Amino acid sequence: MAHEALFKPIQIGKLTIRNRVVSTAHAEVHATDGGMTTDRYVKYYEEKSKGGCGLCICGGSSPVSIDSPQQWWSSVNVATDRIIPHFQNLADAVHKHGGKIMIQITHMGRRSRWDGHNWSTLLSPSGIREPVHRATCKTIEEEEIWRIIGDFAQGARRVKEGGLDGCELSAVHQHLIDQFWSPRVNKRTDQWGGSFENRMRFGMEVLKAVRAEVGDDFCVGMRICGDEFHPDGLSHDDMKQIAAYYDATGMVDFFGVIGSGCDTHDTLANVIPNMSYPPEPFLHLAAGIKEVVSVPVIHAQNIKDPTQAERILEGGYVDLVGMTRAHIADPHIIAKIKAGQTDQIRQCVGANYCIDRQYQGLDVLCIQNAATSREYMGLPHIIEKSSGPKRKVVVVGGGPGGMEAARVAAERGHDVTLIEAQPQLGGQITLAARAPQRDQIAGITRWYEMELARLGVDVQLETRADDSVVRDLQPDVVVLANGGHPFLEQVPEWGYSDNPDESLVVSSWDILGGKVEPGKNVLVYDTMCEFSGMSTADYLASKGSTVEIVTDDTKPGVAIGGTTFPTYYRSLYQQSVVMTGDLGLHKVYREGDKLVALFENEYTGEHEERVVDQVVIENGVRPDESLYYALKERSRNHGQIDLEALYAATAQPTLAESGDFALFRIGDCVAQRNTHAAIYDALRLCKDL
Amino acid sequence: MLQTLLPILIFAALAVGAAGAVRRIRLWRQGRRTPMRWHRLALMPKRYLNDLHHVVARDKAIAHTHVATAGGFVAAMALALVVHGFGWRNPILGGLLLAASLCMFLGALAVNRRRIDPPPKLSKGPWQRLSKSLIAYSVGMFLVSLPLVGVAPTVLGGGVLAIVLAAVLVWGLLEMVVGMGWGGPMKHAFAGTFHLAFHRRPERFDDNHPDASPKKTHDVHRGSRSTALFPLDLTAKTLGVEKPADFQWEQLLGFDACVQCGRCQNVCPAYAAGQPLNPKKLIQDMVVGMAGGSDAGYAGSGHPQQAGGIEVGKPGFGNHRGGPTDAIVPQLVEAQTLWACTTCRACVEECPMMIEHVDAIVDMRRFITLERGETPEKGAAAIDNLIATDNPGGLDNASRLDWAADLELPRIQDRPEGVDVLLWLGDGAFDMRNQRTLRSLVKILRTGGVDFAVLGEEERDSGDVARRLGDEATFQRLAERNIATLSRYRFARIVTADPHSFHVLGREYGAFGGDYVVKHHSTFIAELFDGGRISVTAPTQAETVTYHDPCYLGRYNGEFAAPRQVLAALGLEVAEMERSGYRSRCCGGGGGAALSDVPGRARIPDMRMEDVRETGATTVAVACPQCTAMLEGVVEPRPRIRDLAEMVADALVEPTAATNATSAPSQSREEEPA
Repeated sequence: MAHEALFKPIQIGKLTIRNRVVSTAHAEVHATDGGMTTDRYVKYYEEKSKGGCGLCICGGSSPVSIDSPQQWWSSVNVATDRIIPHFQNLADAVHKHGGKIMIQITHMGRRSRWDGHNWSTLLSPSGIREPVHRATCKTIEEEEIWRIIGDFAQGARRVKEGGLDGCELSAVHQHLIDQFWSPRVNKRTDQWGGSFENRMRFGMEVLKAVRAEVGDDFCVGMRICGDEFHPDGLSHDDMKQIAAYYDATGMVDFFGVIGSGCDTHDTLANVIPNMSYPPEPFLHLAAGIKEVVSVPVIHAQNIKDPTQAERILEGGYVDLVGMTRAHIADPHIIAKIKAGQTDQIRQCVGANYCIDRQYQGLDVLCIQNAATSREYMGLPHIIEKSSGPKRKVVVVGGGPGGMEAARVAAERGHDVTLIEAQPQLGGQITLAARAPQRDQIAGITRWYEMELARLGVDVQLETRADDSVVRDLQPDVVVLANGGHPFLEQVPEWGYSDNPDESLVVSSWDILGGKVEPGKNVLVYDTMCEFSGMSTADYLASKGSTVEIVTDDTKPGVAIGGTTFPTYYRSLYQQSVVMTGDLGLHKVYREGDKLVALFENEYTGEHEERVVDQVVIENGVRPDESLYYALKERSRNHGQIDLEALYAATAQPTLAESGDFALFRIGDCVAQRNTHAAIYDALRLCKDL
Repeated sequence: MLQTLLPILIFAALAVGAAGAVRRIRLWRQGRRTPMRWHRLALMPKRYLNDLHHVVARDKAIAHTHVATAGGFVAAMALALVVHGFGWRNPILGGLLLAASLCMFLGALAVNRRRIDPPPKLSKGPWQRLSKSLIAYSVGMFLVSLPLVGVAPTVLGGGVLAIVLAAVLVWGLLEMVVGMGWGGPMKHAFAGTFHLAFHRRPERFDDNHPDASPKKTHDVHRGSRSTALFPLDLTAKTLGVEKPADFQWEQLLGFDACVQCGRCQNVCPAYAAGQPLNPKKLIQDMVVGMAGGSDAGYAGSGHPQQAGGIEVGKPGFGNHRGGPTDAIVPQLVEAQTLWACTTCRACVEECPMMIEHVDAIVDMRRFITLERGETPEKGAAAIDNLIATDNPGGLDNASRLDWAADLELPRIQDRPEGVDVLLWLGDGAFDMRNQRTLRSLVKILRTGGVDFAVLGEEERDSGDVARRLGDEATFQRLAERNIATLSRYRFARIVTADPHSFHVLGREYGAFGGDYVVKHHSTFIAELFDGGRISVTAPTQAETVTYHDPCYLGRYNGEFAAPRQVLAALGLEVAEMERSGYRSRCCGGGGGAALSDVPGRARIPDMRMEDVRETGATTVAVACPQCTAMLEGVVEPRPRIRDLAEMVADALVEPTAATNATSAPSQSREEEPA
């Protein structure tokens, strides 16, 4: 049998888990109503259970105490009995499909923000500031220690009374328990610090109190770090000692192991490895912990593929694999393996859109699957065939929005033609994937290509759609997703011309797309501060160019999320790329065989010049609107999308009307947004086609 | 002159024919002897005129032809003996003799017409001659009998014409009487008579047998579908059949009854796929072995890919030789021929002479496996696994319930008071595809409020594959251990979604002391519908569905109706395949054929999928894990393959809270959509 190890049930404590796949604890930023697991939250986890996930550990960083702020990340609030009935709904929904569900409970200590809500004073063993959250804190007092130990026990009681299958104590990611463990943070000299036993004491008292409250039969695990990767922090050997110490109590039913500490930006990037990392980069740390403990070990970090998961389990490195982002990208991953549809799995590409939103306090969403965490709105993971008329749907543009529109329309049973000017699908994803460390983003396109082929969509590549091409297809519905072009004409002084021989500047697309050879000494001017500019600089540097990337914003890459800018910085600093902020590009002119770029400092007004061989500009995307306006008047809805229906994710009213074709446009051909925005609009627009 | 000569000719023919018959009987009796039950000869006429005729009558034209020819001949021969042989020249008898001869003549003309351009299933050679011989006999007998009614044709006077007529009569008598005893085409009548009387499976002729078909039409076997393999005595000196003489004598007799009509060849899936098996040739090979010699005289289609090929009468036969005490494999029959069989019983079902091809093949496989240890590669691996782990996949038997970890299935070990239904999972429990079927079945049982339990890791493979691959020892060991396990628990009946388990537990364990009421899930689900215990929602979209009858459910056990009832209950209309019901074409997965994997020109499941496509169906309903696996192995695009249980589970109306108040909380558990 294929995937035998993956589907081998396992006993954790008294609990039988149907397979070895876990959706590990992550902050969903979905809990509402003061931290309650309401409809959206329940449906998000129900979908995973329905899709076959063995164990879901929900509620990453769910606080047990009121001074561990809950609101910033819309965490689940385990500090109140009000949560209990909500847990019952959650447990029923997951159990109904045979899955098990636990929750992570914690006190985050210093790892939070104090500037809002209850304006809590954050606590830490020695009052040392946490860099990632820029969080200052007080030194915790004995009374507070015992109060929080009691809060943990009460939190665990609420979890048990709510019918969940267990709880995971977070002693990872520099929460209060591992703040006590780590000599980097714990400088105390009383019984709560110093020696190994003293540093262990707080966690041990928490464990004892929790166990005393919930009894022996309730599942209680710990999530720990495998190595903090800080010279003054906990090493792998320290962590083995700690794991063995707690394991010896017999009170821990399982360990979850994560590689890397995370109280600096650089280590944080390790914790949720993005696409620049190899598969399972920290498995060896989890395997090391497994050597010294007697209970099952869970490990999640860049495990996205069923075959990879099977290999890890067969190798016996750990007992359960966390496939958390894999489930965010496709909650039906297990069901698809079981149905022999492995090639239909929408695989996580490690874009980290989910986690980077979370660190901004935004709800977790998937860059490529717009249905994830929108199950409560009726956005489907499995698209039902339409029982209505079969329509001829023409989609123009094979970027993410167009591919999603074509996929969804085809799943609805319609006759779909997708027209793409380029020789391949993907749109801007194709360009993004050209950059060093970013190739895996092409996985988004790969999945669509396979799905469109499976669904029999007529994909016409290297075809430029004008209004006659579209009309000749006699469409009932036209979806324009034809994107735009680099916006270089915004400032005439930049010297951009349509004629490449005359243009003084080139675009990031020209460079990444291979249309223009990298120059020797290159200036990248990036107004967006997102992936595109950084990728261009990284690409140029990797080709041997000397690169400076300049922005009028505060720093290049500043709009990139917390788990990805560090990997760019690692690469750019290593290649001596100069990153300069606060300079606006006024003018580019030629001087001999060199180009001169004239900058003005945002704050002083002083001018600076750079003399370079090549100026590359990343100034976002200007929509291509000509096709839209050519078709607009003839269309029965004049190209207008009914926003009430769109936002409610219901059928567009014009579909029920008669007349010439209905016309919709989505993605960057309307205005530049991002991959998720294009896919989301495509899904909610086409799901009722 | 002719009048004087005729009695001499008749008695001489009878005497020579009888001598041949004695020789023939000796040939049959080279087989392993069983006590002679002479009284069974009395059963023959009913079996001949009724059971055999029903099979023949599936082809009406041939039935009529045969009735006319054979009936005419038997009557003409009997009357000729009286009138011409013993000289009782009664005009009435003479008239009857003329009528019988005429009747035979008309039949013979029909036979002759069929022989002008015979279909490929028919053998040529002496069989081409037979129609002429029939005409010769009937014409000769007619003419020679005319004086009895006062007509005196000149031919009888003497001279050349009389000599010609005498020659014609001699030709007729030689073919019909001498040839019958000495092995001409007419041998079939003589051997067939005895074969029907001494058939090893008398239940097949018993209309009143408990499992006889309730339907008494031409197109189904009327007696029991006696399909259990005969147990092998594992203490015997030689295990299985090495040489023709190792067959039981009734089997040799049965082979000898073959009329080479080729109905078996036409329905054999392996033959159609170009694998080296033609059941007709195989039976003729057995006859060659029994009598000694080579297959040079064979004039039908051969085993594909082998000398002689499949073209009728193509020269090239003669390379395969045999004798009663010579090893069959490989001199007479190549091992590949035996391993190509899927044990689907289509040949047995079609055989008008009720020959038991599958028994013979398994007997020979037993020798290859048990005495020579030459089971083909994957088959050997499966057997090794069965020996080591009690399942053919070599998996930890304790993992048999892994797929159901989240279903919390009731264990029979926890139900000492007994349960209504013991759910037998079969080895499909290890297969991800079949687990979906099993989950669906569990959902149905729970929705229907069925009191059921499973054996879990105590369940072992039923032994089906081991037995069909010839490893009777492993089969018997598994059977005995399963029976010992089952004897420890109380249950009213066994339900299984696996027709192979269904067949083996229900029909083959009896010989080892395991007698159970076993129901296939299609039967059980049909009963749940009938009892109003489950209900379904109407289909939302019109869909063309066809149904593939699994061999071990249909032909082996006669269950054709229940699956169709289930589909009807789902509100689906079934577009039947041309080959469905008792004539269903095998998926290619039975009898270990999927393991022996003998190469052919085509794949059997591909051909079956072609049958499905011809109906225009977008879904083919199946009822067997093996069929599911084989048909899903056909490359896409192709119709969807769904087990009946999956189709029912998807359409089930979930019991409301009120009606479900008494059931355990676990019964509201839903399936994952996988």
